[in-house]
Amino acid sequence: MLAALMGRPQGTFASKVEVEGDSVTVTREVDGGLETVKLAIPAIVTTDLRLNEPRYASLPNIMKAKSKPLANKTPADYGVDTTPRIETVKVSEPPKRVAGIKVADVDELMAKLKAMGVAA
Amino acid sequence: MKTLVWVEHDAGQVKDATLACVTAASKLGEVHLLVAGEGVGPVAEAAAKIAGVGKVHVAEGATYAYALPEAVATLVVELMGHHDAFLAPATANGKNIAPRVAALLDVMQISEILSVEGDATFTRPIYAGNAIATVKSSEAKLVITVRGTSFEKAAREGGTGEIEAVSSAGDAGGATFIGQEISKSERPELTSAKIIVSGGRALQNSENFHSIIEPLADKLGAGVGASRAAVDAGYVPNDYQVGQTGKIVAPEVYMAVGISGAIQHLAGMKDSKTIIAINKDEDAPIFQVADIGLVGDLFKIVPELTSKL
Ligand SMILES: Cc1cc2nc3c(=O)[nH]c(=O)nc-3n(C[C@H](O)[C@H](O)[C@H](O)COP(=O)(O)OP(=O)(O)OC[C@H]3O[C@@H](n4cnc5c(N)ncnc54)[C@H](O)[C@@H]3O)c2cc1C
Repeated sequence: MLAALMGRPQGTFASKVEVEGDSVTVTREVDGGLETVKLAIPAIVTTDLRLNEPRYASLPNIMKAKSKPLANKTPADYGVDTTPRIETVKVSEPPKRVAGIKVADVDELMAKLKAMGVAA
Repeated sequence: MKTLVWVEHDAGQVKDATLACVTAASKLGEVHLLVAGEGVGPVAEAAAKIAGVGKVHVAEGATYAYALPEAVATLVVELMGHHDAFLAPATANGKNIAPRVAALLDVMQISEILSVEGDATFTRPIYAGNAIATVKSSEAKLVITVRGTSFEKAAREGGTGEIEAVSSAGDAGGATFIGQEISKSERPELTSAKIIVSGGRALQNSENFHSIIEPLADKLGAGVGASRAAVDAGYVPNDYQVGQTGKIVAPEVYMAVGISGAIQHLAGMKDSKTIIAINKDEDAPIFQVADIGLVGDLFKIVPELTSKL
């Protein structure tokens, strides 16, 4: 959405990102495998789980961060209306599965598979 | 209500997830389709035959090949002048396009709907499927992604849709397609397979995965899936992963072999019709959702089962 609002290209589900000059090459995790796109920067990239190891903040840096000034703003300061236009009517539990039966051995499993028409 | 469904296609074929999307759209009103791509004449003709389809808008052009969201979303927004709802399958491509459309139309997207409850009321999973929210939109236009396993697939035949060309050269907005590496497999695709055999960490390595899981899957004509642990350990490629951060599947039969049944895995397969679990630990959580369980060593059980099938 951000990419669209900025009128910039997007690389979602990125598992590899390489910046060269004024473009970025993004390898994406798609349904059947991988796809690579080249995007003019600035571009918006969203990451897949396997992109990298997250970088953890070191203790000294955490301490330093504490003394940085924080500017508190509201969306209204930027002229943005965040009133939800979707209402949650209710939240319910999904249908629960219950544990079925245990079979003793492969022959019993075969019998079940046959009964289901999965095995001939 | 007039709906517009983005048709995902591959090698001249309309993908199954799109057929489920058509069913969802038909519950809202009139169904129009958008087929965009290069050399998509045959796809448009196939799409027009889908039961219940009114109009098929066809955008032909190199810019639309590979479903680049920058190009497709712009096109959709043009067509949304005459439609009230846009629906896309909740696939990697659909999820890449729909939010862009939503932003350009300035509406809140409704993601992964499971059912249509009214004109603007839908159910959708939250907290990785651990709860179902019923949501109502007050937007002038709806932008929706549809979970393919939650709707019946519309019939591929029986429709008499009218094909209409869209004249729009398209603009890929700074994005260029470079290439793709799509795993080639003779096996059924996970999201539409009737039977799935999935392997977990218990397989220990890639050789075992191939020599134990795959022959069983092939005997059953099944698709092959895996837990995240098996994927992370490199036994199989990432696109095999079933679960919260992988594929959502709901086959007739799901066989989990050496998979513990972590909640994140269950999120991807608990809507399967019949779940069969093979695990040596009788207390493994997978047995709490399995219809049929067999406790034992997979290295003995699976080859025996494969040979008897
Ligand atoms: C944010 C997040 C997202 C995640 N998303 C996913 C996801 O999408 N999909 C997913 O699968 N996981 C996901 N996970 C990981 C999940 O939590 C589990 O770690 C993972 O599913 C475990 O995989 P497994 O069952 O193969 O391995 P394990 O939990 O190690 O289970 C192995 C099982 O094999 C059994 N076993 C061992 N040897 C044998 C044998 N010889 N014969 C028979 N049985 C045997 C054991 O008893 C055990 O039950 C996610 C985790 C997080 C934190």
